[in-house]
Amino acid sequence: MKISATGRRRFLRAVAISSLVVTATALTGCASTPTSGPTEITFSYLWGGAEAKGLEKVIADFNASQSGIKVTGVSSPDFQKQLTSMSSSNGSFDISDNFGTTVGSWAAKGILAPLDSYLGNDKVNLKDFAPASLTQMRYAGKTYALPIAVHTQQLLYNKDLLAEAGVQPPKTMDELAAAIATLTKTDASGNITQLGLGVADMPTLLTLLGQASGCTWDGKDDKTPSPTNADCVKALNWYTSNVTDKYGADNLAKFTSGLGQYMSAQDPFYTGKEAMVIDGEWQAVNIPKVAPNLKWGVVDIPAESADLAKTTQVSTSILFIPANSKHKNEAASFLAYMMQDKPMLDFTLTLGNLPPKTSLLTNPAYNAVPNLDAWLKALTSPNAKSLASQPYSAQYTADLGTAFDDIVRGVAKPAAAMKSVADKAKSYDAG
Amino acid sequence: MPAELRQVIGRRARRQTLRGLAFASPFIIGAIVFIIYPVLASAWYSFTDFNLFQAPKFVGLANYQEMFGDSTFWKSLFNTLYLTVFGVPLTILIALAGAHVLNMPVRGQPLYRALVYLPTIVPVVVGGYLWRWLLNSQYGFLNYFLGLVHLPRPQWLEQPDWGKPAIIMMSLWIVGGTMIIYLAAIKEVPVELHEAAQLDGAGWFSRFRYVTWPTVSPVTLFQVIVTMIAYLQIFAQPYLLTQTRLNSVSGGPGQSMISYAMYLYQNAFVFLKMGYASAMAWALFLVTLVITLVLLRTSKKWVHYDSERD
Repeated sequence: MKISATGRRRFLRAVAISSLVVTATALTGCASTPTSGPTEITFSYLWGGAEAKGLEKVIADFNASQSGIKVTGVSSPDFQKQLTSMSSSNGSFDISDNFGTTVGSWAAKGILAPLDSYLGNDKVNLKDFAPASLTQMRYAGKTYALPIAVHTQQLLYNKDLLAEAGVQPPKTMDELAAAIATLTKTDASGNITQLGLGVADMPTLLTLLGQASGCTWDGKDDKTPSPTNADCVKALNWYTSNVTDKYGADNLAKFTSGLGQYMSAQDPFYTGKEAMVIDGEWQAVNIPKVAPNLKWGVVDIPAESADLAKTTQVSTSILFIPANSKHKNEAASFLAYMMQDKPMLDFTLTLGNLPPKTSLLTNPAYNAVPNLDAWLKALTSPNAKSLASQPYSAQYTADLGTAFDDIVRGVAKPAAAMKSVADKAKSYDAG
Repeated sequence: MPAELRQVIGRRARRQTLRGLAFASPFIIGAIVFIIYPVLASAWYSFTDFNLFQAPKFVGLANYQEMFGDSTFWKSLFNTLYLTVFGVPLTILIALAGAHVLNMPVRGQPLYRALVYLPTIVPVVVGGYLWRWLLNSQYGFLNYFLGLVHLPRPQWLEQPDWGKPAIIMMSLWIVGGTMIIYLAAIKEVPVELHEAAQLDGAGWFSRFRYVTWPTVSPVTLFQVIVTMIAYLQIFAQPYLLTQTRLNSVSGGPGQSMISYAMYLYQNAFVFLKMGYASAMAWALFLVTLVITLVLLRTSKKWVHYDSERD
């Protein structure tokens, strides 16, 4: 069949017009805001399993409590997907969660929407929040996120092992050193069979020991990496002289290589291979489930001096609104709802985490979890502090992790390892 | 030829070209959007300070200069080259030897071939976690068997010296894919050549050296290049063996297991230094290109094609 030039032009014109009509119709259909009914917003969260179920209940309660906003929860435990979704002009969610350590970097890059203007409207009383829970939420004078749950660290001990060795739970660094010496056992060949102080997470342990010795990892202004701070190096020296150098890096590595999975029934603290461990409040929920026969206690982190007593490291799980959200007002209303007592209580109890609001710390609902009160009380301590959340934090954490690894493997002395971190810190992103 | 006829032929040729392009358009558009544009964009980003969220700022060669003073960059490059230098020959040797075994006329051979290929279809993440346990220095099967024959039991994932051999072992676990390709190549070797060589008194090694090896040499060239590229880009195996926290790169003891691709990923998606990561990607491309060109150039001396024999 032969088509004339005029016919072909008409055909192409018809195709073009049809395409425009179809595209316009499709775009109209894609519009997320219907002309009537509630505004729909998406809450994409990284949690899954039982935690996601608990969160869905909170979302359902919010949807039932009002008619203007409908929140749809999406469990998406994919950090990269979360990040890439926020890099386009049209994001796939209006509110999401992460850890407080990301706030500084993301705020500096314009990823997060500042919340200050919304907080007043929705009457979120920040004065009720523990000061340490808000440190990571702010960047350059603005609030970019709010904590939905917080975490503190305490010293857990095996009651049977300490009683057997005649050791009292340590309160000072000297007592901790003595306890480690008594509770670490070796066989005839020198192989470690029981470790006095176990390691749940090496960077947390060493940064916390630094804090308990007066070290500020990010300087007095909380904005300057200060790994060579004398108190930081002193704390690392304390650890190497009482653990690494004393028992041998290779010997320790050999012992830890055969330990069971963290928080499983074979967790070394649960099985008595470690007499003490510094860890977070999630253990209070996990131990009764996984190791119900374990007799354990919990005390404050031993500190170097009285003015550093009750030192703990606070970390945060945060909610934030991405800058590319099309429904920031509605997302802020939902965020404010999540900051109310009941949703926060329900959610933190589901996760076995701590509420950031001081008024909730004494709520009897938390009494059902054995020993949780030790972590709850720690949050109000004047020495409860979080690590800074700055644009450089991810890189600083990685470099500190590498340096700590060198120290515990005995290949670098603390002063030299911290000097190498300080050298790398010179090229960090200043924001 | 009359002008009118030339016009008709020209129109027809143009129409055919357009029709051809229309049929090829899914690939052309896909290649432009998903390959050519990202490649060109990454080349541009490598000269910028770019974090994915703000407009890139031109910084000239700063990202490339930064590599020279970055100790982790050199560590990751060394680790990757180590894995490539030892991993590629081992892969080729084991695959070639295994293919000969799988070519033997023994009962149950199809089952053995399937068993050898099986690890290739196991998802890499599953394989990674499986190997973490196999390599456990106290309770792992590997050290259990080494203990049975009174050999030293290394701390595979805790000692810097053993991390890279552990990665190579985990990578060799999926050598079955290469082995099967070699098996197909060996089966292509003409039987009459082997018979003629045998009549001339050639032993098994001479037959391999002068009959089998030349015949499978084009396949070997392909395998060497593909395996080399796979090792230069290795990510999943070291990442899974060393992973301690979500979304972070550990690198193992003394960063002995951090690969180039892991460090590139860390810069791009953890530190959000997309410009530096792009520069690293281009540096890796150049390294890969140079090695590939060297291999292709030297291949003229050791690769034999059918057309040459004919």
